[in-house]
Amino acid sequence: MNPQFDKLVGSKRAFFALLLFTFVVMPVMYSAEMITVGQINMIGRYMCFAILALGLDLLWGYVGILSLCQFTFFCLGGYAMGMHLAHHGGPEGIIDGNGWKIPACLFVVYPYDVGESSGDALVPGFWKPFWNLPLTVALGLLIPGLASFVLGYFVFRSRVRGVYFAILTQAIAVASWLVFCRNDVKLCGTNGLVRFDVIAPAESLTTFNPVDAKDKWIESHEGSLDQDLNKDGKLDQLDYSIADVGFSLSSDEVRFGLYLITAACLFGAFLLCRWVVNSRLGRVLLAIRDDESTLCFFGYKPYVYKIFAFSLAGILAGLAGMLYVPQMQIITPSNMEAYRSLLVVVWVAVGGRGTLAGAVLGALVVNLLYNYFTSQHDFYFFSWNPDYWQILLGLMFVLVVLYLPNGLIGLLDKVRGSIGLLLRRNSS
Amino acid sequence: MTQSLEKERSSSGDVGSVSYLDGYREYLPSQVNHEAWSSRFVLFVENLSVSFDGFKAVDIPCYGVGHGELRVIIGPNGAGKTTFCDLVSGKTRPSAGQVFFDGKEITTMDESEIALRGIGRKFQTPTVFDSLTTYENLLLALPGNQGWKDNLFRAESKAESANIQEILEKVSLADHRDKLAKSLSHGQRQWLAISALIIAKPKLLLVDEPAAGLTDSETEKTAELLLELSKEHTLVVIEHDMEFVRRLGSTVTVLNEGKVLAEGSMGEMERNEEVMEAYLGR
Amino acid sequence: MGKFFLLAVLFSPFCLLESQAEDENNAKVSGNANSVVFKENTLLPLLLELASEDNEKKADVVSRLAQTGEPRLEKFFELYRQGSVYNWPDAEGNPRIVVNEETVMDDDFNEFAPLLDPLSGQPFLVAGKQAKPDLLDLVDISPDRKLRKLVNASKFLIRLFSPDYETRISGVKKTGDPPFLEDALPTLKEIAEDSSEDEKVRWTARESIALIGFGKSSSNLEETESRLVFLEELAELNSLRALARLDSFKTDISELAQSGNLSVSDYDGFSGRISKVESSLADHRDSVELSGNLFRGLSYGSVLILIALGLAVTFGLMGVINMAHGELVMIGAYATYEVQRIFGHSADNAEDHYYLVALPVAFLASALVGLLMEQFVVRHLYNRPLESLLATWGVGYILIQVVRLRYGDNIGVNAPTWARGGFEITQDVVLPYARLYLLALSATCVAFLYFIIRKTKMGVLIRATMQNRDMAQSLGVRTRNVDRFTFAIGSGIAGVAGYGWTIVGGVTPDMGSKLFIVDSFLVVVTGGVGELVGVVCSGLGIGVLTKLIEPMEFGDFTIGPVWGKVILLAVIVAFIQFRPAGLFAPKGRLADRK
Repeated sequence: MNPQFDKLVGSKRAFFALLLFTFVVMPVMYSAEMITVGQINMIGRYMCFAILALGLDLLWGYVGILSLCQFTFFCLGGYAMGMHLAHHGGPEGIIDGNGWKIPACLFVVYPYDVGESSGDALVPGFWKPFWNLPLTVALGLLIPGLASFVLGYFVFRSRVRGVYFAILTQAIAVASWLVFCRNDVKLCGTNGLVRFDVIAPAESLTTFNPVDAKDKWIESHEGSLDQDLNKDGKLDQLDYSIADVGFSLSSDEVRFGLYLITAACLFGAFLLCRWVVNSRLGRVLLAIRDDESTLCFFGYKPYVYKIFAFSLAGILAGLAGMLYVPQMQIITPSNMEAYRSLLVVVWVAVGGRGTLAGAVLGALVVNLLYNYFTSQHDFYFFSWNPDYWQILLGLMFVLVVLYLPNGLIGLLDKVRGSIGLLLRRNSS
Repeated sequence: MTQSLEKERSSSGDVGSVSYLDGYREYLPSQVNHEAWSSRFVLFVENLSVSFDGFKAVDIPCYGVGHGELRVIIGPNGAGKTTFCDLVSGKTRPSAGQVFFDGKEITTMDESEIALRGIGRKFQTPTVFDSLTTYENLLLALPGNQGWKDNLFRAESKAESANIQEILEKVSLADHRDKLAKSLSHGQRQWLAISALIIAKPKLLLVDEPAAGLTDSETEKTAELLLELSKEHTLVVIEHDMEFVRRLGSTVTVLNEGKVLAEGSMGEMERNEEVMEAYLGR
Repeated sequence: MGKFFLLAVLFSPFCLLESQAEDENNAKVSGNANSVVFKENTLLPLLLELASEDNEKKADVVSRLAQTGEPRLEKFFELYRQGSVYNWPDAEGNPRIVVNEETVMDDDFNEFAPLLDPLSGQPFLVAGKQAKPDLLDLVDISPDRKLRKLVNASKFLIRLFSPDYETRISGVKKTGDPPFLEDALPTLKEIAEDSSEDEKVRWTARESIALIGFGKSSSNLEETESRLVFLEELAELNSLRALARLDSFKTDISELAQSGNLSVSDYDGFSGRISKVESSLADHRDSVELSGNLFRGLSYGSVLILIALGLAVTFGLMGVINMAHGELVMIGAYATYEVQRIFGHSADNAEDHYYLVALPVAFLASALVGLLMEQFVVRHLYNRPLESLLATWGVGYILIQVVRLRYGDNIGVNAPTWARGGFEITQDVVLPYARLYLLALSATCVAFLYFIIRKTKMGVLIRATMQNRDMAQSLGVRTRNVDRFTFAIGSGIAGVAGYGWTIVGGVTPDMGSKLFIVDSFLVVVTGGVGELVGVVCSGLGIGVLTKLIEPMEFGDFTIGPVWGKVILLAVIVAFIQFRPAGLFAPKGRLADRK
């Protein structure tokens, strides 16, 4: 909340130390086999949550608006990436009348109209743009950004604020969860998007549909087509997925690469948010949190700034979702349940509301705790049951709200302050 | 004025007659001449009324404030002074009637549009942004930077920060430049709020009870500040403190039960029986 | 705590009303028990007469048996028709009627027949052991062809004579379904004309008679004509079941017309009459559906109100966003379950008074939890709505998990027996008693809350404290106690909501957060904070709107609950554009108060 809280991680030295740790120490530890690729993958996923938390912190910590549907935007990005991965997913699935492969996860829960049989299934039109990777990335940022912009436009303009906004966004989270659970929206219902195979195959970079991709492939293999096709039977595969080039999601190198990309995005998102809150616009955001109505009399339109912050948070959430899906290799509507979005608030609150570093710290700490406490542990005097985790989480939340309004960052700051005081006293 | 009031009473026999309208005869709604009033008044309202649950909080047929004037509005509790300010500054929408400012109708505009047109407002309690420093508070008040793109991509110019520094020195807050506003004293906050108003360079300043809760010396200083301001701006001051109003020595409008009761100098008002009755109760 | 005694007293007239209803139910049950004993004495001698050689006498016995309406005979008739019923004369040659379905063979290939009791289906005991005589000792008394047909019909007829209302009416109804049972016609006619019979049963009998007549196949003009007459009678009866049968009739006559058995002019005449019938029946169906949806809407609205009412207190009066409100509802439901368990009530064991005890228990349980929450969490967060939202959510999360660890994921609360079935206000519009009870319960709660807030001294203190805490404090109001009491009342009403919910829906640990919390907050937000009238209006409005939207159809797309919810949300967002502070928003200076 106060500038000094940010100093801990905001100082250049601390920032570079973290940068060093993420991009040098971790890879070294990985190559020395001190940590497994599974753990790297886990940290990568938690970093996605940290990006999500950054967005919420921008909203809640700086502007004072509590959004309870951040995971919905996360899923919008996640589903965009999920559809892309499903397009280029494994060899299961069938070819529809237009030459598109129906991904396996869609095929099993395809909502046929009355009188249709399995041969009548078609890849829905809105799936098609996600064939192309650059387009997918653009849409994965654009769709949640646009959704949050439209929502923000209607809600903030009518001066819905405070708890009303929180309740409304929660209702939206619930409604969108219900919608995504339905089979007839052709997003694979409660099963979600699964059965991914590769990421970024060459054809997904330059082509926009499988027919072009096939032509292009044949063209590029013209000279050696005969042997190629006859030798390894790629002709059959052509119809499904060319998989000529592409990074298998199950390979260790790719998973490690995804970790590096996510970490880079996290640092990028952090710097972006820092730039925003340190700009004059950041002061306006704080002013909105303090006293929105007074700001109106200065000639500002607070809703414009709120929409800006909400859209930015939405885009960050979409980015987080897009990074999360290839690492998790599944995305289901259960991520949209109302309590998930409240979890983001827990992360930010635990880490320290109103400090960007706090949001990141909170997301990582709470999720690592989650990872630890949702398995069986025997302590000296009692054995920990994974079912107790939710009680611990609830308790943690209540205590943080009541006694630690500045979160862990605030606590660290206090500790540091008192140590500093002690040192100064000793030296004098 | 008092005599004409007497005359009005005796001729119509109506005790609560709208004698203040004498000054606005030529601008009465039926004969509104927009050119005439906009040349004389910077702020002008016509048939303005607002009611909350059937209770008419403000009901003014005709009222105006001249260019460059320092006008004080007084009245007992619940007279509608603050509500009048709310109506002018766009915080409350009137149930009926119109508000004109600087030759344009502003009745349906929202607060920020009205503020951009040049009406600044200072609230009863000092409204500063607690999480911002003194300097940043003034930074936000600078005119011409209210769009989000400006704020995101442009830092303040040298001239602007010099301007801020100048004003900070004027209200002796220069030492507190980088302190958070929440650590300031009540009087300092009051001045900070006023300086934020000044820096925005509005054409019209609405000042709501500037002397409330200040020490005597602070009150004196505030009065001086307002007088100095009135040289460059049109000012409408709402005040309770009679001593303070006398010190300002300007035209006074008395509001009671949402209506304008009388208008004139402070001395005239003190001799006006109706006004005294409204203040002392019956 | 004395105040809760007051609550119990306030609720007691309400309880009395319930107990009367219960007494009536008990009377019904004991009446049935008597008739069973009576039947046992008349049935057995009748059965023995089946051993007779005289076919006419046997036919007479069968129809007399059918008229007893004894449900156990249904199975017996089936066995009798199959030929599994035997006479096993005892040593004196007196007949004994027994059932044998399968035989066993010993090592010497002698066939033995383990016997069953004809009525109970239990092993037929002789000297404490199941009788297993040689197959040859049994006398076959299988019915002949003619009798077999009668027996088969009697199988259905039995129901028409059943003393139990539900069985009888379902039997009467079934005769009108295919395959149409013409043998039932005389009995149906008797029922239709029996003035001592229940009006609904008589109406159903008339409907079934007409349906049987209408259901016959027709091959010529006269037969078609008679079917049409029956159909028109059905139209007069507003029979919805006839509507489902219309299409097959239409294909029948168009086939007849094509095959030349029906002239074109006759066919056109018939078609005209059919479409008239169809439109009158469809009108009836539409009005039934509309009123049914309206009632479902009201009933859903009453649930919403019941849940939102507690929120209106904690959120509206105190400004505390209690996200654990749904969990307080859940606690009320589990308290009801505990009471049921202690009373040993089950689906078969009609310990209905558990439900009366559960009401105050549910209220107190939730109020107590609310009190603890207020003391340890909420107290520190007055005037910080967002923080209170988060902290109470944490509490709710804990409550869910604690309850889940204690009770598992799903428990069954059995509705009291009187809550089964429904009340038919007009033809085909049935209002389930459980839903009616919920309506009454929420109306009572609204009245109760109104009474507390507007008419008692405590209410004055509550309003004073909420409007100006400092002033109230300086006037000597112990605002801490007022806070506690108000929060407990709000929480207690949530418990009552959970208690009411048990008779219409499932009980799970996360029912609060899954089912109610968002909807009920929307009710409060839409209604305007702090206004009981607002809660009632918006609760009913949202309820009715939901149930009217859900069944709407556009082409082959039915809106259904999910899209209904999305549309409703869009409507609310649009609504908030115009009235950001809800239906009944405070105005003027009050509006600035946060």
